[in-house]
Amino acid sequence: MRHGKALLGLLMVGILLQTVAPQESIHKARPALFDPNRKTKPVSAISIGPTPAMIAALGGFRTVAADLLWLQAERVWDGGSWWALLPLLDAVTQLDPHFILAWQVYGWHAAYNMHAESETVIDRRYWLARGANILEQAVEANPDNWEIRFELGWTLYDRAHEKKRAAEYFYQADQMPGAKSYVTRLYYRCYEGILDIKDLMPALEYAKKRHTDLAKSDDVQHQVIVNRDYEWWMKHKDDPLEHRRQIVIENTARAQRSVPFYLYPDDPYWDVCPICGLPSKKGSEVCEVCGAPLKAPSQRGPATRGEKKT
Amino acid sequence: MNDEIVLQVEGLTKIYRSLFTPVGVKAVDNLNLSVRRGETYSIVGPNGSGKTTTLKIILGLIFPTAGSTTIFGSSIADLSVRDRIGFLPEDAYLYDVFNGEELLDFYAGLFGYPRSRRRQLVDELLTLVGMQANRKVPFRECSKGMRQRLALAQALVNDPELLILDEPTSGLDPAGRHQMTRLILELKKRGKTILLCSHFLAEVEEVCDRVGIMYRGGVVAEGSLSELAGEPTEIIVTTSGVGEAQAAVIAAQPGVLSVSDGVVRMTKESGDQLWPVLETIHQAGGRVVEVSRPRPSLQDVFVRAIRQDTVEEA
Amino acid sequence: MTPQLISLIGAVVVVVTLALTRRVWAPAIVHAIPSVWRIAKITVAEARRRRVLQAVVVLVVLILFSMTFFSYLSPGEQSRMLINGGLSAITVFGILLAIFLAAFLIPQELETRTVYAILAKPVKRFEFVLGKYVGALIILAIIVAVMTAVLVLVLVLQDAMVKDLPDSTFNPNLEGVLFAALMNYFAIAVLTGLIMLISTVSSTTMTVISSFIIWAVGSLQSTIHDLAEHADTAATKLLLQVLYVVVPKLENFDFRNEVSNYLHVSYMSGWDALLQGLGYTIVVLILASIFFNDRQV
Repeated sequence: MRHGKALLGLLMVGILLQTVAPQESIHKARPALFDPNRKTKPVSAISIGPTPAMIAALGGFRTVAADLLWLQAERVWDGGSWWALLPLLDAVTQLDPHFILAWQVYGWHAAYNMHAESETVIDRRYWLARGANILEQAVEANPDNWEIRFELGWTLYDRAHEKKRAAEYFYQADQMPGAKSYVTRLYYRCYEGILDIKDLMPALEYAKKRHTDLAKSDDVQHQVIVNRDYEWWMKHKDDPLEHRRQIVIENTARAQRSVPFYLYPDDPYWDVCPICGLPSKKGSEVCEVCGAPLKAPSQRGPATRGEKKT
Repeated sequence: MNDEIVLQVEGLTKIYRSLFTPVGVKAVDNLNLSVRRGETYSIVGPNGSGKTTTLKIILGLIFPTAGSTTIFGSSIADLSVRDRIGFLPEDAYLYDVFNGEELLDFYAGLFGYPRSRRRQLVDELLTLVGMQANRKVPFRECSKGMRQRLALAQALVNDPELLILDEPTSGLDPAGRHQMTRLILELKKRGKTILLCSHFLAEVEEVCDRVGIMYRGGVVAEGSLSELAGEPTEIIVTTSGVGEAQAAVIAAQPGVLSVSDGVVRMTKESGDQLWPVLETIHQAGGRVVEVSRPRPSLQDVFVRAIRQDTVEEA
Repeated sequence: MTPQLISLIGAVVVVVTLALTRRVWAPAIVHAIPSVWRIAKITVAEARRRRVLQAVVVLVVLILFSMTFFSYLSPGEQSRMLINGGLSAITVFGILLAIFLAAFLIPQELETRTVYAILAKPVKRFEFVLGKYVGALIILAIIVAVMTAVLVLVLVLQDAMVKDLPDSTFNPNLEGVLFAALMNYFAIAVLTGLIMLISTVSSTTMTVISSFIIWAVGSLQSTIHDLAEHADTAATKLLLQVLYVVVPKLENFDFRNEVSNYLHVSYMSGWDALLQGLGYTIVVLILASIFFNDRQV
């Protein structure tokens, strides 16, 4: 046939042009595939893990490399070297940002283990902030995952005691499919802990409406607990005395766990009256309940630098 | 043999050029040949004369620099032509993990034959080439002779009108060569047109009607054996028991050129004088061992043609 | 010029060209199908007889079973490791097999001259190339299917063993695994076509070396795309863009990450990947046929 090769060439060009739209469609549907730098950024100025180039070079075997490093991390953990775990976990999470368990362990390790290991206040604040930071990166890399948001919320609630921020994350986690019922309860517990009655009551209303289908609920006690809490707060929401009693209970529990008192940035109540035993707002010089003078001026304020852990 | 031309090659030239040989190496130089239906044509020549290159161009395996080839009036690119030809490559190698039966079945399948026909064909061909007993032997375990026979069988799978055989007896022992030659003769008897490429002149003499002598890419001599070799020049009578005196008597006979060592040479025209000479020998007490009219062998023709070509070139 | 418009233009060009030439390609295809099928069958039969392929499959099966030795991990981690490692093993071995199979198919026939007996028959050269390709696809399909079946078996067995443990989070994600394995097979098919194209013009050794390079580059398509967008000079940008078009988009078919992390798998993008890969492979096979057609054997 005349011009056979030219026509074949035209056919090939036409076919190649036809493949442009599907390729573009793939770009849109799988953005992670085309972002060699991933969404994660190094935690510190100096990256302690693999560089983006190394990650890109591994191609589709990033996840296998992440698995192998994870096994290595398990061995290191058994050996007890907590510092060595950090670069490994950093590498694992950078290689596979969707490995939720690795993020959870990494964030927990920083906020709990390294925090407990530290001897100075500065260090301990650092590790707490770092743990939260790690989990924030995890949330950014996995926007559709409820577990990692819950993990961040829990770290803020339980360790950093930043209950307001924790409440946001618990709420976000609760909106996602698969979230367990305890997330809902923790959401309003955050406001309970800081006695934010304004936000607490709507939160309780919200919690009542969740997980009402007992057949699908993961915790049949959820409705019972929420109703009980709701009724209690409906009765006592305008009773400041009762609030203060709740604070005492909370403080006792904290004292039993030896949680340092400088970690309550959101708590509205600070000093406990030595006479009536009830707390007053931060900065009060006399007890709001019985009028007795509170701590001497020199004893007021947060712990100074260099104080050892109790 | 009739006058229909089955294969026609005109002005065929093949120059191999490469980066290191920009001028090129001429493998085939302005070759012309034609093969008529029913005849057995052989291309002979030394190694490197361009025989295999010519066959490959005819079959479309390589492409000529100039010239044309037609088979049954069409180009080899026409698939219907390939339905009517069969090719036995030099040192033929087929898929070595399969046995003869499986190989022939595969090649028959390429022609689109149904299963029943293929089974029949396989049986017939294996019988023809004498491989019935070894039909289940894998190709790699076959001897050279068996492999050549299987390769010939695959060339016959479509009962071709034109058979192209490239060095069919190369690498075979004398028994194998004899077998192959018998097969080719059998095919010739069945009316096949055969184009044969060989440097075994003895077998060429046995099977061919016409010969083309190739040297350095071109045909230097072409024709039937008798045309090439020419007519016999003498009559030779070999005797024994003839003494010198009797030799002189015999030499005096008309038509006798010479008598020496018991060999009587007579002129080629003296056919009528043969009987009196034989009688004279008998009367002289001698015994006639053989009477012959020798002509030059193909080997002689071959060497002569090449020498002539070399001389002409000089 | 949106991508959809470009594709539409491409579709129009293809349809018009095919319509103009239908008297040529329609009978050619009708004639080609039985020849291609026969050559494919003999290719598969030959590979089966050469026990090398069987040996590799046995090796992979052993590897996959050895992955059950991760029992000291938690069930959730186990499933992730098994899925990840298993799919990656299938990818690696699948591609290695594809390279060593495709790189030898045509050059070996030319070297041993078994091709002469075939090309002297009424078989067109492009039918020979296509037949070899289809044969390679069948062989690779069998191997990938066996390896995937073994992986699925391992996952099902492991799931049965840990199901009764309290809070077992072992999730075999069989649907995802099967999808990822299928996509992986398509990636191998695309790569095989390209390797066969190279093999029509170069020797076995060069083909094998080139194949490894192409595999590496094809797996880095996203990096090339990114580099092309951030290129300094127009020349570099053009070069990288051309490289991006020429390279087979193997990453499109890689769903291992999504499947092992139990993320949402976009079947639609799998379909897009298949369309893209199909177009690429057709072009590659046409080129291979052209090159082989002009090759002096």
